[in-house]
Amino acid sequence: MDIIIIDGLSFALPLFIMAIGGIYCEKSGVTMLAIEGLQGVGAFIGALMAVLFAGNFAGNSPVPFYIAMIFATIGGSVFALLHALLCLKFKANQVISGVVVNIMAMALTAYLTKLLNRLIFGAASDKFVLAVSARITIPGLSKIPLMGAVFTNLYPFEIVIIIVAFLAWFVMYRTRFGMHLRACGDNPHAVDAAGRDVNKIRLAAIMICGALSGLGGICFAYSISANFSASIYVGYGYLAIAALIFGNWRILPTLGACLLFGFARSGGYRLVQVLQMPSSYQDLVMILPYVLTLLLLVFFSKQNGAPRALGEIYDKGAR
Amino acid sequence: MADYIVEMKHITKRFPGIIANDDVSIQIKKGEIYALLGENGAGKSTLMSMLFGMYEPDEGEIYIRGEKVKLESPNHATKLNIGMVHQHFKLVSNYTIAENIIMGMEPVKKAFGFIPVVDIKKANEEIKALSEKYGLAVNPTDLISELNVSTQQRVEILKMLYREAEILIFDEPTAVLTPQEIEFLLEIIKGLRDNGKTIILITHKLEEIKRIADRCAILNRGKLIDVLDVATTSTKTMANLMVGRAVSFETEKKPANFGEVVLDVNNLNVMNKQDFRIVKDVSFQIHAGEILAIAGVAGNGQVELADAIAGLMPVHSGTILLSGEDITNMPIRQRTLQGISYIPEDRQNYGLVMNFTLSENLALKDYFKEPYCHKGVLDHREFFENSERLIEKYDIRSGQGSETIVRSMSGGNQQKAIIAREIELDSHLMIFVQPTRGLDIGAIENIHSQMIAERDKGHAILLISLELDEIMDCADTIAVIYNGEIQKIAPADTLTANEVGEFMMGVKKQGKREEASV
Repeated sequence: MDIIIIDGLSFALPLFIMAIGGIYCEKSGVTMLAIEGLQGVGAFIGALMAVLFAGNFAGNSPVPFYIAMIFATIGGSVFALLHALLCLKFKANQVISGVVVNIMAMALTAYLTKLLNRLIFGAASDKFVLAVSARITIPGLSKIPLMGAVFTNLYPFEIVIIIVAFLAWFVMYRTRFGMHLRACGDNPHAVDAAGRDVNKIRLAAIMICGALSGLGGICFAYSISANFSASIYVGYGYLAIAALIFGNWRILPTLGACLLFGFARSGGYRLVQVLQMPSSYQDLVMILPYVLTLLLLVFFSKQNGAPRALGEIYDKGAR
Repeated sequence: MADYIVEMKHITKRFPGIIANDDVSIQIKKGEIYALLGENGAGKSTLMSMLFGMYEPDEGEIYIRGEKVKLESPNHATKLNIGMVHQHFKLVSNYTIAENIIMGMEPVKKAFGFIPVVDIKKANEEIKALSEKYGLAVNPTDLISELNVSTQQRVEILKMLYREAEILIFDEPTAVLTPQEIEFLLEIIKGLRDNGKTIILITHKLEEIKRIADRCAILNRGKLIDVLDVATTSTKTMANLMVGRAVSFETEKKPANFGEVVLDVNNLNVMNKQDFRIVKDVSFQIHAGEILAIAGVAGNGQVELADAIAGLMPVHSGTILLSGEDITNMPIRQRTLQGISYIPEDRQNYGLVMNFTLSENLALKDYFKEPYCHKGVLDHREFFENSERLIEKYDIRSGQGSETIVRSMSGGNQQKAIIAREIELDSHLMIFVQPTRGLDIGAIENIHSQMIAERDKGHAILLISLELDEIMDCADTIAVIYNGEIQKIAPADTLTANEVGEFMMGVKKQGKREEASV
């Protein structure tokens, strides 16, 4: 049971922070399908920096991981500028732009990984090998029956994510910026009439989304795969989008959706172990979150709280 | 000169294919209600958009409080204490009233002593006080999406007042309101003037100007025709100047010449989405060469009745015969081909494809037939020729002729396009649902005379209108609907407007009067 909670959380939280990024972007009225690509680029930049700096630190030092996190957010938000450029400047279709960003991210990072491995490290490899992040257990709290698992064997990034998520909530619902951002997704004309620049707000939202996606990506790289390679693109970005839709574009319900996905996944793995099924069944279990997605869609697609102006290209002159 | 708060001198503004304003000069005094009167597309809104900084004039100068200004943005206009209530409200639907009003100028407090956050509590108090000061009662914490149109408009007014606007521009403020709401709004506007605000009112409704405006500038096709003192000018004069010719307030009509029955409705029942019987056992006939008007207060089933005849709503029970043929369960296109023209109430959603060009919209009802379509391939040259012909014949004005995107056209010209298309179908039955809603007097006159011309050609016409005047002017036969039931059906000349009004309210019942006379 404990292991389900521990693994579930470590999967759900990076998913959650990516979903928050998506919420930021979509709440500002820009369709965001590029989370998959953004998290990959974020993870790539983060992993690259981690390997570059790893030599300067002791083998078990956590510092490279924090460096990786910082650069992952920067990398994600810079790459998100591509989406902003296409959607805001050239007023391209936002769905297509998102898909383009995803495809480009995948191809570009796979290529650059090989290239840089050869150039810098002189090795023919298509991955950056990272350490698995150390885990911590919070004394005291972890002794609570059942709930204690939540505080056991935590990845440090889980704490970072919780803090960032809270900040994200605060900014969105308590500050002027957040208020303008949410208004952009409902009626950008109202924001314009209030004297704010809709495109600037949307640009900021897209960059925040890139940053949070990148953060989610590097967390996956450090926990699930322990390396960066093209295998980071297994659809978690899309799962984050599904989560934010089930969460009705609201942060707390989205956390619920992410936890559900996380526990479904870890529970499935546990099942395979307990029943001592051949390991090939693990791949089958991997589809659990997606089957759940399909089922939830049946129930939740009706109560749709999508931002009203989502995907609409903002044109000042339009009536 | 100092007593003018706004002066616009020799303003010219051109759009592709059209001169929206041609050397217009107006001067507005502080504390007056200044009306801009003109037909749809006369350039009133454009002129005010320039005063509000949304466009820059190509030529001419703007002075505010005697100082020459170059208005670059609505933001800039706001700083000069100019506010505008647009025709389409700019409100965030999932925000509260207070949040909408303060947006961009939020009161800020420091959380934990250093993080700036929006002080929504203070905002609510401020808005409450402000709304009470001007007699615009609103509850600051209500969500916009739960408000009716008139309250939303009040929020827009409060938005201006919160920004300390002194010059308030209203763009067709009454177009979306019911008569009672209009009364209330006019009182509010008067109250604002009494508070020292300067009001600019864009409208094409003469009665409103007569009621509240002090002075009135009349625009026609982008040119300033005259500036009049409202108190000493008759509405008739204003109307003539606005349209640019003598307008007859009365519709000329030859006596009707009824032919065979075209539409025969028998015991029709229609259910609405909530499964409520909204049309109850309605029966009537319309003959060739007859205008039958259905009078009634909005929401009494008249629109559903028209929709059922046109095929937009399913019939629950009863029959509809068109020239003797049962069309009760026919698909819509089949009905069109059988001979029904339909001018819907909601012209933007049901009458037009807003992002299509004018030529495409004008062919919406027969694009699938020869000559527009040869074996499944559309012939755009035919579209174009058809549309050029209709534009000419029906005087549809637009920026780029056949290639104009319909969304960019004025409401009056959109309606002209629909009417042109539907009349050209040459159908036996033509259904007009509120054909003149939101249009100016010149356009109304035009539509009425077209409708009557079609009657004289021997078409049957079903007119559904909320305007009693329109019904009294046009109808040969009047049917009054109340609560989904036909209360009274009689030749128009046997009824007075008062009687029709009483039937509309459900006060008077056909049966009762007969009892009384026994």
